[in-house]
Formats: sequence, structure tokens, C-alpha cells
Amino acid sequence: MPALFFPRRYPPLLRVAVLIVLSVFVSVFSEKHPNIESVSLTMAYPVQWISMQEISFWQQANNYLQSRAALASENVRLRAELIRAQPKLLEADILRNENRQLLALLDSIPQPPGKVAVAQVIAQNFSPGSQLLVVNMGARAGIFVGQPVLATGGVAGQVVSVSPMSSEVALLSDLDSSIPVQPADSDTPLLVDGRGDIDSLAVPFQPRNTSLKVGDRLVTSGLGGRYPPGLNVGTISAVIHNGDQPFAQIAVRPAVRLGQLSTVLMLWDRPSPQPVVTP
Amino acid sequence: MIAIAFILGFFLALTAETIPCGPFYALLHPDFVALLLLYWAISGSSELSFTIVWLIGLLQDMVLGDVLGAQAIAGVIMIYLLYTSLGRVRSLPSWEQLFFIFLLLLTHRLLVWLWQAWAGTITWHFSLLLGPLIGALLWPLFTLAFDYLRHALRPRHI
Repeated sequence: MPALFFPRRYPPLLRVAVLIVLSVFVSVFSEKHPNIESVSLTMAYPVQWISMQEISFWQQANNYLQSRAALASENVRLRAELIRAQPKLLEADILRNENRQLLALLDSIPQPPGKVAVAQVIAQNFSPGSQLLVVNMGARAGIFVGQPVLATGGVAGQVVSVSPMSSEVALLSDLDSSIPVQPADSDTPLLVDGRGDIDSLAVPFQPRNTSLKVGDRLVTSGLGGRYPPGLNVGTISAVIHNGDQPFAQIAVRPAVRLGQLSTVLMLWDRPSPQPVVTP
Repeated sequence: MIAIAFILGFFLALTAETIPCGPFYALLHPDFVALLLLYWAISGSSELSFTIVWLIGLLQDMVLGDVLGAQAIAGVIMIYLLYTSLGRVRSLPSWEQLFFIFLLLLTHRLLVWLWQAWAGTITWHFSLLLGPLIGALLWPLFTLAFDYLRHALRPRHI
């Protein structure tokens, strides 16, 4: 193997030391310039492309090898699911009509609904702390930084960096993630923070005599304008009142099974209504 | 031919690190790129260039989307430690070599952890030790498979 850049006559320790200094420089530079992330995502695309081919090959092989019996049982299960979903669809239709009438009564302009696109997960990076996914849609499909990402059950996370062909999603459980929520039956503003643990989130800074209890459902509050209001985030799974701690420790089980995602929904929210100014 | 196998191997190892197979896989999978680096350093015919090790690590950082430089520097230091004691490692019996591989992989994992903790993107969890352990246990299998592949791909002079 040829020696790149460094002639072999320099002692190995010196070469290692130079590379250490170079690494420090690169990491500090990348921390100072966040848009380097989109560059590195673009550089990583060939690897992700191979990964995509592997996934689709695996899926095709799986489809091909699946037995008749397994397909039949899956068919039965899906049909049962459809029958169960039918009344809900009907209910949704009724609600939509009712909503339209109420909006007409209020003299407000009906808003165009948000748009949703299905993206495939092509890479994951789960370590204790960061929970990141890479999906196969990027700036060319109109993805932008801060875009809400949904999955079966509710909110999964948000887009943190975008390259032309792919984008990186931070899940709700990421250490840096935080989402404004409220209980489904009241309007107390709360936050849900990621703790770096894939199946447990936390509500920070609640007093020890908090009224939140196990089983309360949390939905997005729409504060901050990033997530539309009313989306499922999770259910409170534990409230610990520990005398030693200044705050109650509240654990939340996410509504989405964050570890098992293979497809996600990218959401383009409707444009926020302009405040009407009357002279 | 060997060069193509080298490059292709690293691409496959990089995809194996990030392929979405659920949290259990993410917890248990060894660092395939580090394993492959160790394999080439121990069994390769010529010395690995530190710069190439560094560039492979940097690409891995980009693929993982973590702070840049973490895998790069961990890989370089791991290979440096290996080269300072390579003569001894080659002559060790296989199970002692396995222990040595475990120590190197552990050093690699801890260096990556330190770098990421410095950037504030990681917390400590005991499961970080599982990857190196499983990597070391897979080591004999890994060398066997790659020796076979290299034997199959070797240039034939008639």
C-alpha cells in the first residue's frame, strides 16, 4: 500500500500526532459550521446507496421466499385490521364535514390540508445518546431542516440536516431532542425531552406535587410552530416523587415504536394562518 | 484485485454499521470497520498507511452522522497501538490474540466515546462494552472467512 501524503521516513508517532491535531481541527471546524453536516451527508450517499440496494435485495428475497401459509395469515390479519378501521374512517368523514360547517359558521377560510410523503429509512445510528435515522428523501424532494417526521402512532422526530438525495432525522429519544406538548385533556404547556434511551422520554421541570399521573396521554401543543397541534407523542409510564430530587421524574413511553421504523411520513404542514388585521 | 476487495470490504462494513435492523442489532453489533482495519493490519502483505486509516474513519463519521474525527482518530490510534506490538501479536496463541483484539476494540470504542462525550452527543451505558466483546468473539470466524476470500481472489501466475 502506498503511503499517502506522508513519506514513511517520518517516525510513526509523529504521523499519528499530526493526524490527531488534524482530527481536532476537523471536529472543531464541523462544530462551528453546522452546514458542514449536509456536505458530510452528501459524501456518505454512495455508502447509503449500497445500503439501500442491500435492503431492497433483502426485501425481494423475503417476498420471494415467504410461504403461501404466511401470506394467507397476513391477508387475514390485514382484512381484520381493515374492518376495524372502517368505522374510524367513517367517523373521520363525519368530523371533517362537521369541521367544515363549524369553520363556515366562524366565517373562517378553510385551510388547505398538509401534505405527507412516505420515505424509507436507509440507515440508523443508535448509540446511548444519539438516535438518528437517514431517510431516502432530500432537498430535491422538498425536505427542509426542522420538518416534522411522523410514523404509525404519532410523532417520530424531526429533520436535522438535509442533502440533495437524503436527509437525517433526529428521533424524539435523541439527547438533543425536545418537543412542546400538552396533556390530551388539558392545555398545560409541557416539554418532552429525549434522554438517549430509545423507549423512554422524560418530562423535565415538573414540581413534585404535579397533577400528571401514569396513563396520561401527551399530544403536541403546536407551540413554537414546528409541529402541528394534536399529534400523539406518548403516554406517561412512570411518575417518581423522590424526596432527594428538586423535581418529579416523569417517564414517557413514546407513541411510536422508535426502534422499529422502516418507513416514516414526512409532513409538510399547512401554512400557518395569517393573523387578520382590521383597521 | 486485492485493492478492489479492500475497498469493497470497507463499503460493505460501513453499510453493516448503519443498516436499519432495530435497536437490538444497534446495541450488539461489533464495529465492523475497526475489525476490518485490524484484519488488514495483521494479515495484509504491506503496512497500512495511517492516512488511509484516518480517511476511512472520517468517511465512517460522515456515514454515522456523528461528530467528525471520532472514528478517524480512534482508528489511527488503534492501528498505531497494534503496530507497536505487531511482532508479539502474530506469535501469540489464538485465544491470547483474541484477548488482545478485545483490548484494541475496547480502546477504539472508548476513544470514540470520549470524543463524542466531549461534543456532548453521548451518555455512558454499559452496553457500549458489548460491541468490542462480540467483535473479539467473532474475530476467529472473521479471519477465517477473509483468509478464504483472499485465497480465492489471489492473482494466479501460470
